[in-house]
Amino acid sequence: MGQFLLQTSWAIPFYGLVGALLSLPWSIGLVKRTGQRPAAYLNLILTLISFIHGAIAFSASWGLSAQPIVLHWLSVADLDLSLALDISPVSLGAIQLVTGISFLAQMYALGYMEKDWSLGRFFGLMGFFEAALGGLALSDSLLLSYGLLELLTLSTYMLVGFWYAQPLVVTAARDAFLTKRVGDILLLMGIVALSNYGEGLSFSELQTWAENSSLPPLIAALLGLSLIAGPTGKCAQFPLNLWLDEAMEGPNPAGIIRNSVVVSAGAYVLIQLEPVFSLSPVSSDALIVIGSLTAVGASLVSIAQIDIKRTLSHSTSAYLGLVFVAVGLGQADIALLLLLTHAIAKALQFMSIGSVIWTTNGQNITEMGGLWSRMPATTISFVVGSLGLVVLLPLGGFWSFQRWSNGQWEFPLWLLALVLFVNFFSALNFTRMFRLIFLGDPQEKTRRSPEVPWPMALPMMSLSVIVLLFVSVPLRWSLWLSQSSPIIHGDMTIPRLTMPLMVLSGLSGLLLGLSIELRRSWSRPRQVSLRFAQDFLAYDCYIEKLYDVTVVQAVSLLAQFTSWFDRYIVDGAVNLVGFVTVLSGQALKYSASGQSQFYVLTILVGVSVLFLLTMDWLGLFF
Amino acid sequence: MLSALLVLPLLGSIFLGLMPKAWSPERCRAIALIIASVLFAWSIALGVQFDPTILGMQFSESFAWIEGLGIKYQLGVDGLSLPLVILNNFLTVVAIYSSDRDIKRPRFYYAMILLLNLGVVGAFVAQDLVLFFLFYELEIIPLYFLIAIWGGSRRGYAATKFLIYTAFSGIFILAAFLGAVWLTHVDGFAYDLVRISSNALPLGVQVTLLAGLLIGFGIKIPFFPFHTWLPDAHVEASTPVSVLLAGVLLKLGTYGLLRFGLGLFLDAWVHLAPWLAIWAAVSALYGASCAIAQKDMKKVVAYSSIAHMAFILLAYAATTRLSIVAANAQMISHGLISTLLFLLVGVVYKKTGSRDVTYLRGLLTPERGLPLIGSLMILGVMASSGTPGMVGFIAEFLVFRGSFPIFPIATLLCMVGTGLTAVYFLLMVNRVFFGRLPVYLEQIPPVNWGDRLSPIILAMLIIVLGLQPIWLTRWTEPQVAFLLTGQMQATQPADTAALPNGLPSVTQSANVLGETSVFP
Repeated sequence: MGQFLLQTSWAIPFYGLVGALLSLPWSIGLVKRTGQRPAAYLNLILTLISFIHGAIAFSASWGLSAQPIVLHWLSVADLDLSLALDISPVSLGAIQLVTGISFLAQMYALGYMEKDWSLGRFFGLMGFFEAALGGLALSDSLLLSYGLLELLTLSTYMLVGFWYAQPLVVTAARDAFLTKRVGDILLLMGIVALSNYGEGLSFSELQTWAENSSLPPLIAALLGLSLIAGPTGKCAQFPLNLWLDEAMEGPNPAGIIRNSVVVSAGAYVLIQLEPVFSLSPVSSDALIVIGSLTAVGASLVSIAQIDIKRTLSHSTSAYLGLVFVAVGLGQADIALLLLLTHAIAKALQFMSIGSVIWTTNGQNITEMGGLWSRMPATTISFVVGSLGLVVLLPLGGFWSFQRWSNGQWEFPLWLLALVLFVNFFSALNFTRMFRLIFLGDPQEKTRRSPEVPWPMALPMMSLSVIVLLFVSVPLRWSLWLSQSSPIIHGDMTIPRLTMPLMVLSGLSGLLLGLSIELRRSWSRPRQVSLRFAQDFLAYDCYIEKLYDVTVVQAVSLLAQFTSWFDRYIVDGAVNLVGFVTVLSGQALKYSASGQSQFYVLTILVGVSVLFLLTMDWLGLFF
Repeated sequence: MLSALLVLPLLGSIFLGLMPKAWSPERCRAIALIIASVLFAWSIALGVQFDPTILGMQFSESFAWIEGLGIKYQLGVDGLSLPLVILNNFLTVVAIYSSDRDIKRPRFYYAMILLLNLGVVGAFVAQDLVLFFLFYELEIIPLYFLIAIWGGSRRGYAATKFLIYTAFSGIFILAAFLGAVWLTHVDGFAYDLVRISSNALPLGVQVTLLAGLLIGFGIKIPFFPFHTWLPDAHVEASTPVSVLLAGVLLKLGTYGLLRFGLGLFLDAWVHLAPWLAIWAAVSALYGASCAIAQKDMKKVVAYSSIAHMAFILLAYAATTRLSIVAANAQMISHGLISTLLFLLVGVVYKKTGSRDVTYLRGLLTPERGLPLIGSLMILGVMASSGTPGMVGFIAEFLVFRGSFPIFPIATLLCMVGTGLTAVYFLLMVNRVFFGRLPVYLEQIPPVNWGDRLSPIILAMLIIVLGLQPIWLTRWTEPQVAFLLTGQMQATQPADTAALPNGLPSVTQSANVLGETSVFP
């Protein structure tokens, strides 16, 4: 049984797809009599089945070596496009994460989207989302991964744009798509180039190719950068980070998946591409620079946000920045561990704040307060989720970072500083959020706020338990991906200090968060410098403005110009020729005298000119 | 076999033209639909019997026609033209099906559509230069009437512009054909005979003749700067005519470029290839950036056609086996996707009376909007911008993959053009379908399933071919190998793809190509 399910584990992503297809009749309004609920139940059941299937396959795969499944998709001329899957404990574990979080998020959505009229469409999209993510987890081919990343882009567009009647949603969906698309096109350029140089596009083939390839450094660097661009967009890293913040306009259950697993999907592809990055030092440097910049910038930006979802989404970017750094350092296992830890904890945080939004109908944290006694489950989930992420108590986050810095891996000082920075500001931000949302006196919007119903509370509490139990995962984490064994005899002075330092940073963040003065009503500091700093961070360092006046403006001006050029120069010339022809015809008709000698003369002159021309013309060649 | 594809529409249009005036539009439509369906079934039957492994023409028919001039009635299809023939007959069915039920002057209208079908199929199957030219010109007449009679408010202007442009296109092509025949001293105009000797012409002469073909077909396809007739024609044409125009008529140009430009003057083609690649990149980026600024949905789709057709030129310029197979796939893909988009824009126009993106809003609203049409539009737009899982992706991927080793820079620029596709189409979809439905659009009549049927079928085709692209490429591949290697006799095919030392520069690769294709 287990063996059979293991062999058919390629089918796991299809459950979600089937769910999406089955909910079509409801979403396009063919079935009206039953209401929208059956579509939701269908998807929920299929996701549960896929989770169970995955779980059995996962336990059966334990200890077995990876089994490739290759589908020869298309072979044209000298090109053979194969889609490869890889059935290994890592990929099955990844798919477990996907289906598990998807199941919890869908169950959560049963409650959260209760009042929405198009449940069928929502659950169909979630099924599609899950299918693409699951496929990505299993995929062992860059081409297939690219295709699935694009489908993720598409489904993000549709999920963010779910409430398409709202103006903010419209721009959010558009920006999410276009930002990711920029990354994807660059990635596609890389794939086209790789497909020309390499043996094939499966990750194992790429690895063998990268080991024996002798690309010129410039090409290798460009190739690496283009391959980084796709994940940069997916993981909301600088400079393609803004979409995640805007995407928070979409329904929250999708936000749960997006902030935990979807951003991880980009990093997952990045981890698989790691051998190619070894071709050029530029790509690893770029990864480290992008990751560090995002980690620092997003940490700072997140503390100035007052939107409950946006502040968390920036925190997602910050943690993914750390993952980028880990990949840049060539530490794929650590990157994977960080992804996993972050995904589970962030999903829990998002469930919790989703409950807050659902109850208070608001997203502005300065309008909240005093929820702890009214919504205990939500409060507990938020606390557990935050603690699972921050290095403070010995939970998932603590042990993951311990694993990173225990001397087995290269852990330079600047990285320590970066981690301390992120940890400090995360602790500060989560404490700030906690105080504003849950502590203090109830505000107008939070006065009547009962705890959420069980479809939301149950997944939330289950995930809380999982986050608490997650401690054992980093402790037992073994090497899955890294080829080279990590450092065994390192300098042990730093490792001994790192964990105390990190806990200290978390603690000081917590204390600072507790001690600073938090204003309920939104007021701005009086000093100009402080006010500027706050605005600067609150508006995402004005990156959006910057894009508006540069890229967007440039494209728009170019479009205006070409359109003008097209209308007045190209088409204008054509119309002018037409006009002149008509006019000269009108004029010439008066020159027709009727004398035959004149006509003969004209013909003679014309023919001789033509003759001379052709002789000369042909004379050039003969 | 092939003559039936020509005789039946001819008889059909004569029959329709002779019928009494009192015949209702419904009845004319039914008859036209039956004829078109029979033609489609016939072309499918041809496809079933077609053996892609046989090189050269199949179902050939040949007999002397105007013996004094050496013009023959010679027909045949190969892997390059058969998919286009099937596509054309399919889209004719779609066009007739989506024509207005109560159209004015129905007999003339449907006769013209059948005649158009005849001209296009004739041009695809003609194996004689003059015969091709005749069909190529024949197709102009019905299209002129279709735009000039059943078009929009500026239909006269658009139709005349189309006529003059295409007439010029014809002149250039005819001149090049005649030049080729006279300079090679071939007896007659048979394609395969001319081909053998035209490739032996001196390079200068070849380039001159090829330039004529490039301009002639470049007008038809169209490429920048010969394109301005297309947006006007699309805007003024009715939906079914736009479908035929974008779906197959533009492909006459690219088909001609491959069959005659590349086929007759391969040396010159390879000589000019770097410039053609640059031309393709310019045309793609130009079309895309014009599309961003358009306010009329049909113009957006029309400019996107210009951008997407330019990819085909890029692939032809690269002249590798892969790129030419890819170009043919891109033709079919563009035919299906642009048809879908034009049909959907047509429905929007029919229901709301507008195509203005600044006026339309919130059409995705389920109660009083056009939710299914909107969803299909999102699908079509995604297919056009190359989302995997749909036919647009694999066709474009093959084009880029095939062209990249030869012209890396031009390929990358064209990929930027693909990126821009998402920009202009998303702007359009966001404006028209997202947002709140304004009060002035609340009275939209409901869409019946008749209007939804053909978009749904097209969407399914787009997805099926996107998942199973081998059904698209298997026809052409052996034939392309034959076209390139059968001619380049002992020399290597141009896909010296994997140059070991990184990217070949444009000039470098041109040199490589120039060397490989010198004839003994």
